[in-house]
Amino acid sequence: MDKKICTYICTGCGIGEALDIEALSAVVTGEMSQECKTHACLCGSEGQAFLKQEKKAEGINTFTICACSPRVMQNEFEMGDDCITVRGNLREQVIWTAGDAEEGQEDSHKEWLQETASDYVRMACTRASKTEMPEAYEMESMNKEILVMGGGIAGITAAVEAAKAGSKVTIIEKAAVLGGKANGWVKQFPTSHPYAELEENSIASMIAEAESDSNITIKTSTEVARIGGSPGDFKVTLKAADADSEWDAPAKVGVDEQDLIDKGEKEDPNEGLKPYGEVNEKADTFGAVVLATGWVPADVSEYEHLGYGSNDKVVTNAEFEAMAKNGKLEGINNVAFVMSPGAEEHDEDFPYASSVTSMVALKQAKYVRENNDDAKAYILYQHMRTPGNMELFYKGVQLDDGIFMTKATVTGVEGGTVHAKDTLLGEDLELDVDLVVLAAGMVPTTKDANIINLAYRQGPAFLDLDLFDGYADSHFICFPYETRRTGIYACGGVRKAMNMQETIDDATGAALKAIQAIESADHGVSVHPRSGDKTYPEFFMQRCTQCKRCTEECPFGALDDDEKGTPLPNPSRCRRCGTCMGACPERIIGFKDYNIDLIASMIKSIEVPEDDDDKLRILIFACENDAYPALDMAGMRKHKLNHMIRFIPVRCLGSVNMAWIRDALSAGLDGAMLLGCSYGDDYQCHFVKGSEIASTRMENIGDTLSSLGLEPERVRSESVAITDYDKVADLVNDFVDEIVELGPNPFKGF
Amino acid sequence: MNVQPDLDFIRYLKTAGGDTMKKCYQCATCSVMCPLSTDENPFPRQEMIWSGWGMKDKLIGDPNVFLCHQCGDCTAYCPRGAKPGDVLGAVRAYAYTALGWPTGLAKLASTAKGLPMLIAIPSVIIFVLWAISGGMVIPTSEDFAKYGYQRFFGYWDFHWLAKNVAFIDFFMLGAVGLAVVGSYKGVTNLWKQMCKREGVNPDFKPSLVQLARDFVWPSIIEIVQHNRFRECGTNRNREIGHKALMWSFIGLFIVTLWSMFANDVLGLWIPSFHGPMTIWNPVKILANVSAIAMIVGCGILWMNRSKSEAEGNITPTFYDWFLIWEIMAVAVTGILAQYLRWAGLITPGYIIYYFHLVTVMMLFMYMPYTKFAHLIYRTTAMTFERYRDSSFVKNPLDK
Repeated sequence: MDKKICTYICTGCGIGEALDIEALSAVVTGEMSQECKTHACLCGSEGQAFLKQEKKAEGINTFTICACSPRVMQNEFEMGDDCITVRGNLREQVIWTAGDAEEGQEDSHKEWLQETASDYVRMACTRASKTEMPEAYEMESMNKEILVMGGGIAGITAAVEAAKAGSKVTIIEKAAVLGGKANGWVKQFPTSHPYAELEENSIASMIAEAESDSNITIKTSTEVARIGGSPGDFKVTLKAADADSEWDAPAKVGVDEQDLIDKGEKEDPNEGLKPYGEVNEKADTFGAVVLATGWVPADVSEYEHLGYGSNDKVVTNAEFEAMAKNGKLEGINNVAFVMSPGAEEHDEDFPYASSVTSMVALKQAKYVRENNDDAKAYILYQHMRTPGNMELFYKGVQLDDGIFMTKATVTGVEGGTVHAKDTLLGEDLELDVDLVVLAAGMVPTTKDANIINLAYRQGPAFLDLDLFDGYADSHFICFPYETRRTGIYACGGVRKAMNMQETIDDATGAALKAIQAIESADHGVSVHPRSGDKTYPEFFMQRCTQCKRCTEECPFGALDDDEKGTPLPNPSRCRRCGTCMGACPERIIGFKDYNIDLIASMIKSIEVPEDDDDKLRILIFACENDAYPALDMAGMRKHKLNHMIRFIPVRCLGSVNMAWIRDALSAGLDGAMLLGCSYGDDYQCHFVKGSEIASTRMENIGDTLSSLGLEPERVRSESVAITDYDKVADLVNDFVDEIVELGPNPFKGF
Repeated sequence: MNVQPDLDFIRYLKTAGGDTMKKCYQCATCSVMCPLSTDENPFPRQEMIWSGWGMKDKLIGDPNVFLCHQCGDCTAYCPRGAKPGDVLGAVRAYAYTALGWPTGLAKLASTAKGLPMLIAIPSVIIFVLWAISGGMVIPTSEDFAKYGYQRFFGYWDFHWLAKNVAFIDFFMLGAVGLAVVGSYKGVTNLWKQMCKREGVNPDFKPSLVQLARDFVWPSIIEIVQHNRFRECGTNRNREIGHKALMWSFIGLFIVTLWSMFANDVLGLWIPSFHGPMTIWNPVKILANVSAIAMIVGCGILWMNRSKSEAEGNITPTFYDWFLIWEIMAVAVTGILAQYLRWAGLITPGYIIYYFHLVTVMMLFMYMPYTKFAHLIYRTTAMTFERYRDSSFVKNPLDK
């Protein structure tokens, strides 16, 4: 496409009063050699009509809007599919963060402000000239069927909901029948008002609904051997449950490990298995996967004072449910339910409990009572968790004459006697019972097994699940259902210990996410969090050195490789974070509107005054997801930012290539900072690993700088949350003060 | 503590006004709201869980249960609608039955099922006595005007004891005697349980004089003054109703004592003390004022209760209503009998007088087992409350 670029400077919102617009326009028409026009209010109806007229009459197709933050007025400045819009942030990052001039410095304050605005205009113009029109990636083949792994409540619901939305679905279930854990339940929690009484188990009708749906194919006694491919084109090899197959997903073998195997010093874990990259021509094809493989009851034998395993009067809740299901509650008239194993050490519930074990205890106490009108059930809890409408269920159970609840620290079980302290009764408690039921939690199946069995470069399992205690989730609060593998959405017990109603809601959500992923793949656009983004990383393979950094670092395992190590991109697996671009030492990866050259050119367009200690230049790469909005909010609150700072928004800190830091320092800028999301146990990175990878890279570049004789303090990585808008100004201003302390970059002017 | 919840106890409480008690989730708002609960001795939070857990032994010897004046503040502010006030009422009802002697009668008085029997016992006794007394004849209107109901049970020539007095004393003193013995047994039983629960050292006992002077008398003064009723924030006119009722009982007690003295003693020498008093006789005025106070007081409590029940604030129970009905019946039959006498309506007068006797006998006889028993048990608990804080129980050096 032939670009016809024009820059539009908006003088509204105080920009016109604070800045010398003529001088700014001169920057555009002069050194940037582009057309420039101004308007009093570009986002108003007149301004929008003006821009439309520009497109129509002047044939402008690349609009450089120098006005407010790119995070606002996006619809107003959307010029259509055939146009590119680039934004320069003169409002939030220039005039709103200018602060008041110090006394006697009014003139220099105005001068600084003008310099800052000029730099943002330069960067915007550069960006406009370097941005190319994105074209959506087209899949070679497209399959829209959804594979649901697991035929329990979650799996059945996901299948039925997806089928209702018009999708074809295949459910695979390891067991011989559908239903999963729910088959073993006597009754289920209430699902409708007044939520006070237990309901008959409805799993049979759910199974019947799935079986009668013509859009749903059911394969029982079946497992996944391996899943290769990408959303819209997953190649899934199925096998009989518990059977071995040559198509079983191979374990990941690192380079060092492979050396040992080659030397015969180590056994090959993948002996007899097809390599991960080999495609099974007989495999079934699916568009997306819903992972609903559920949970297994937790082992509770480690809590010796409770006597599980050694005392035959102590059982788990799962075992008690089975006893009730099999009619073995005869003579069981006094039952104690123990919710927390911590004795006097802590008051936490059993691991993997969530709120479900509280509700299960309530349910099972009802079984005891329904079995015998004179029976008694004791619930000894540290926490009674009954969220939402389940509070009404709790209230209903509470009314039962023979159900006794107290907060208590259970110190031990001896024979048929339960000992408890710190009770609401004001005294230590001794209860003589026929049975003690321990509220064991629900361990996700992903904790101890690969389950998903991916034939991916990064291995067959989800990564870093220890961050989530084994739950298959990439970020529970911010991105429900998402896993670290695009097109694979988890729901039900594999995601959180949840009750039936929660699971049904959860599975419905996962089904919709799966459909969304397929449609996005079909349209060649990204899924969450850059939903709808048409760009994708493009590789200039001729210059690839097979260093494997991109394939290793991709947080989503989007890149496979061939035997030599050349990356094989799978665009529909990609979330467009650019971590590969940041990783690549050869700088051969880029997006149409975001690449090494584009950002480097923006950096170089910043004017760096020489020999002026009062005019240092500090570059800050700000993550678009949290850091940039936090800066915008600081601007809205008129928090003063140092006039020496220049911000460049980046998709994710992971996409920051260290070449840019070098470019900045060699261009004479005096310091550089990465501002992104926190990482580690409670990370907030929208691309999971980006900010963590970036901070590692920054540590390494610090070493390089020292070898060049530059202070490593000139570069830094900081994390902020979106809610840190009141702290972010201090954070960056302090960094500037430190750089000022260090003095100007000695390479300035070279 | 080995706990064995008593399901029958729970079921009983649920029928006696404690139907909501299981709703309690132990937030202790009730203990904070209760105007009578103190920092050292908070209630009724713990009484609620003991009730919910069916721990009756903990509750019967618990003075707090009887200290409660059922003002309803706790119930009004309970975030869960557990109605602690009603639960304590139910516990008291249970305690009266449990402490009551003779047991059979106590049980009979505890449920609505016993009501026909409760009415039948005095009705039959009085009817039979009336029949065998030979008094069951309609007097002439002159006799009725002259003697009123004083020859209800007939007349004989034995100067030292009128036939009517003999018969009335026979069953009324019998009923009172039963109540006194029952009360004594109940109160001493409760006292023992409270002492045991509090861990009172039996070596330091006050003398009877000390007990009466230092503990009982101040409690009675406090009761008469209604100080604790006045603490109540939710239900102010309960104090007025209860006070009117209490003073009417005191008034009628004086009237009854005077009548006994006048008829049975003075009348032996001065015959004019026999027969109905004139309306301007100070004692008669006291009697009528008291009777009106009784109807007004009882009426206030009646309306209060109906209103609270209609608003769902309290649970209707036989235990509460029986006492209201009974007192109302005593007052109404008494006043009606007097009017019928003035009107000279002999037959209706005699029938109403018969019912008046029946209701009065019921009031006496069932006192230790019905809600009326709060008269003795609450006084006991308030006495104990003083006692346990005294140096007989607490070592002042420990403070």
